[in-house]
Amino acid sequence: MAIRANPKLIDELEAYGAQDVSKCYHCGNCSATCPFSGGDTVFPRRAMRQLQMGLESKLDSSLDPWLCYYCGECSDDCPRDAEPGETMMSLRRWLTARYDWTGISRLFYRSWKWELAAIIVAALLTGAGFLLAGFYLGGGDIGVYNGENAFLPAGDSWYGLPTGSGVHLFDWILAAVLVFFLGSNCVRMWWKTMGKNPYTRWAVGAYLRRLWVLPAHFVTQMRYAKCDRKRPWAVHLVLMLSYLTMLVLIMFFLGYMASGPEIDWRVHIFGILATVGLLATTIWAMRGRMLKTETQYQHSHESDWMFLTLLVIVAGTGILQFGLHRAGADAAANVAYVVHLMGVVPMLALEVPFSKWSHLAYRPLAMYFADVRADVETAKAKQRAAEPIGAAQTA
Amino acid sequence: MKTGVYLCQTGTGDPDAISVHAVASYAGNLPNVEVVRDLGVLPKLDTTALADELRREGLERLVIAGDSPGFFKPSFTRAMTLAGGDPREVRLASFREYGASRGTGTARAKGVLACAVLGVPYALAAVPDTTAVGPATLIIGAGVAGIQAALEIADAGKQVHLVERAGTIGGHMAMFDKTFPTLDCAACILTPKMVAVGQHESIDLMTYSEVEDVTGRPGAYMVKVRKKARRVDADACVACHACMEVCPVRVPSEFDNGIAERKAVYMPFPQAVPNAYLIDESACTYVQSDGKKCGVCAKKCPKECIDLDQADEIVELEVGNIVLATGYDVYDATKIERYGYGTVPNVLTALEFERLTNASGPTGGKIVCKTKRFNKRTKADEWVFDAAEGQAPRSVAIIHCVGSRDANHNAYCSRVCCMYSLKFAHLVKEKLPEADCYEFYIDMRAFGKGYEEFADRIKAEGTFCVRGRTAKVFETDGQMLLRGEDMVSEKLVEFPVDMVLLAVGLVPAHGTDDLARMLSLPTDEGWFSELDYNADPTDTERGGISVAGACQAPKDIPDTVAQASAVAAGVLKSIATGRGLDSRADLSLADIEARAASLVEV
Repeated sequence: MAIRANPKLIDELEAYGAQDVSKCYHCGNCSATCPFSGGDTVFPRRAMRQLQMGLESKLDSSLDPWLCYYCGECSDDCPRDAEPGETMMSLRRWLTARYDWTGISRLFYRSWKWELAAIIVAALLTGAGFLLAGFYLGGGDIGVYNGENAFLPAGDSWYGLPTGSGVHLFDWILAAVLVFFLGSNCVRMWWKTMGKNPYTRWAVGAYLRRLWVLPAHFVTQMRYAKCDRKRPWAVHLVLMLSYLTMLVLIMFFLGYMASGPEIDWRVHIFGILATVGLLATTIWAMRGRMLKTETQYQHSHESDWMFLTLLVIVAGTGILQFGLHRAGADAAANVAYVVHLMGVVPMLALEVPFSKWSHLAYRPLAMYFADVRADVETAKAKQRAAEPIGAAQTA
Repeated sequence: MKTGVYLCQTGTGDPDAISVHAVASYAGNLPNVEVVRDLGVLPKLDTTALADELRREGLERLVIAGDSPGFFKPSFTRAMTLAGGDPREVRLASFREYGASRGTGTARAKGVLACAVLGVPYALAAVPDTTAVGPATLIIGAGVAGIQAALEIADAGKQVHLVERAGTIGGHMAMFDKTFPTLDCAACILTPKMVAVGQHESIDLMTYSEVEDVTGRPGAYMVKVRKKARRVDADACVACHACMEVCPVRVPSEFDNGIAERKAVYMPFPQAVPNAYLIDESACTYVQSDGKKCGVCAKKCPKECIDLDQADEIVELEVGNIVLATGYDVYDATKIERYGYGTVPNVLTALEFERLTNASGPTGGKIVCKTKRFNKRTKADEWVFDAAEGQAPRSVAIIHCVGSRDANHNAYCSRVCCMYSLKFAHLVKEKLPEADCYEFYIDMRAFGKGYEEFADRIKAEGTFCVRGRTAKVFETDGQMLLRGEDMVSEKLVEFPVDMVLLAVGLVPAHGTDDLARMLSLPTDEGWFSELDYNADPTDTERGGISVAGACQAPKDIPDTVAQASAVAAGVLKSIATGRGLDSRADLSLADIEARAASLVEV
């Protein structure tokens, strides 16, 4: 089957942050340097070639960009300054936009103004919504942080599941929306990368056998540790674990989180540690991007900055309301809480399904799919070897 | 003729070389110029809008000025045709073509633009006056380029002063085993020429000498040459080796590229011209101890021709022409750590292998891997070539483009490496038919007469040519491994090999920048700039100074020899007529304008 080439593909990708792809002269240095590349999965040069040739459909079904952690060794050694690492990064953005059926992702990545406007609108709506809810639906007393007549009550829960109204219920509604969008995009990703191919579509055994890959990579990002430089992995891991901790705390222990004013060490210690982790890693990353300390920080897309800024705001206001409440300034704590929610909602509703944070789903999925693909290929090769020569032709 | 000037840049050159703003305001004051537009870098040209403007302003001539204005010509030609004008009146003022670089850039660009506006070729307008030329010629560097030029000029009966930094003439070609693509013996071609130089009555050969200072003007340069103390009378020495046998100091041999040793008193190689010993003062115990220690060689010399206390001597020459033939050095492979040169023992540079495979080299031409040996003097293990004990490599890999075509090292192609790498593969296969030989290349540049056929022949001999550059050379359990991507099969490959040859690129010889400063000559990426790559490939901006061989740019032997002969022709022309062109570098903008205006009237 002939492949339709899209000669404008490189130009299109430039909108997603690609640099100098056409400079590449295919020496293969990047692929051979890459700690993740091996066997049949040889990248990033393959992606560079596919881009230069405009092979849109090949890239569309490619898992390579998600297998790259952008340690930057390829770009450092590139004899043409063709920035293969940044190409992989921009391909991830491009793929995110391709997986997203709503078109929002494409809009955000191609225009930072839209993304910023959407974040601001979402933040304002959230703020207005919670103020309304606080004043008219809840206790209406801004001077009360928790307990009876709280301005924004956490709500009752049963084993972490919300049973009454309150912020906790809102969290779960937001989570459902998020899972719907991200989930449907993940299904599209599966279809593009695995579903279209009948061999990988029905390889149920391989899918089951490799299922462990998904949580393993999600929690440890162990592949990242294969880079020569370990620090980026460590930073990423701390950020990810802090975020995960926070997520669990908020989804299941919101009532404990809001308790007080005395500190409940059983729960709050995790919150404090996670906040410290989040703040330290995001500030480290922001400093790196500002000073361009590492190869992967040389080119920052606007979406990178929005992501980091939101995280800092969320983590900062989170710990602020915690502190204010403990200090007895409940009114100020409530204001901080509203600001906190104004950061949380755009972050979860916009960044996770449509922007940079979607990689928390796509990357482990891609690794899982890549392993399934490898299994299917091995099985196919075995089958071919077992067949008598000429059988394929006669059949 | 109403003229419009459009400044368009491609932005690929040196951004600080030319002040485009100054050129634009200069253009406004030129006669007949009605419109000046600075369109910036890589403008998006709208042909119809341009045509409208041409019609509105009634422009009859268009000048596109910029670093590479030809890039934009099609749009302007179309606009001119649309506007009903004469498309032949779209003229280019190409700054880069006429070498407007940092320093003289803006003034040169103005001159180029003035000529284009007047419709006169810059090359015709920017011609300096002639000056009287003296009969003698100085040639700096006695590699194959210097030797060839010297012989051509001297054979015509004209005096040549040939200055060489090393103790012998011959340069790099004397080190080579074979030449590509004919696989001729390099020494068999070069040594007769070297001997001819040594015996020529019109050639004043000054080896172990360096040019200290050049003053004067084109056609009459005053040159100071420092003849470094050789400490051996080259005329009296009969190369009996008595001094070398008693000398206690051992240092790495330059001629063998450090894979063998020589004494402090040494002859670079047996066929050296002059065929005489010299003393390396930086190694000699006597010189270093101010005459307090050693000195045995002078006592042992049967001809009593060693004068250990000899001092440097300054010679002054008056010459009409100067030929630069200073050649190249190879790229320092230690700068590329991932290839393991200097840490993994059997990773060799091209010149080291050249000596290893040469019949006059330390192993007598036997290709062997290095042997580990304990050095009693330094009390450390060292890896040396030993013809008797060394194992023949079972597989040899040759890595192309080492330090060349690489934004992190040298961006240019060194031109000779593909071909010499193929030659190496042949030499390995010839001497070790059982050995596997791999070439790791990016693009195979077999550009000359018979070169492509040579490449085909090497492939037919069983060398594996892998398209893809090697990323890494490393050792695991004593086995050298080489990792790269095979582009054709899109697979990562790891080959176990016993020897790796690095096809190191060429860089200007050390001291080229000093010489360029002394002569106030411009350089490109360190190489001497020629006047015009197409039309004046041997002249420079300074009158009476020309370039031959690899000091201008990486070049193989046939091209070097051809250019050296071309230089000789130019030198002889100026000597025969007694007149030569003055420096173009000194031409003022007013001179160029005046000459261009006078040419328009013709």
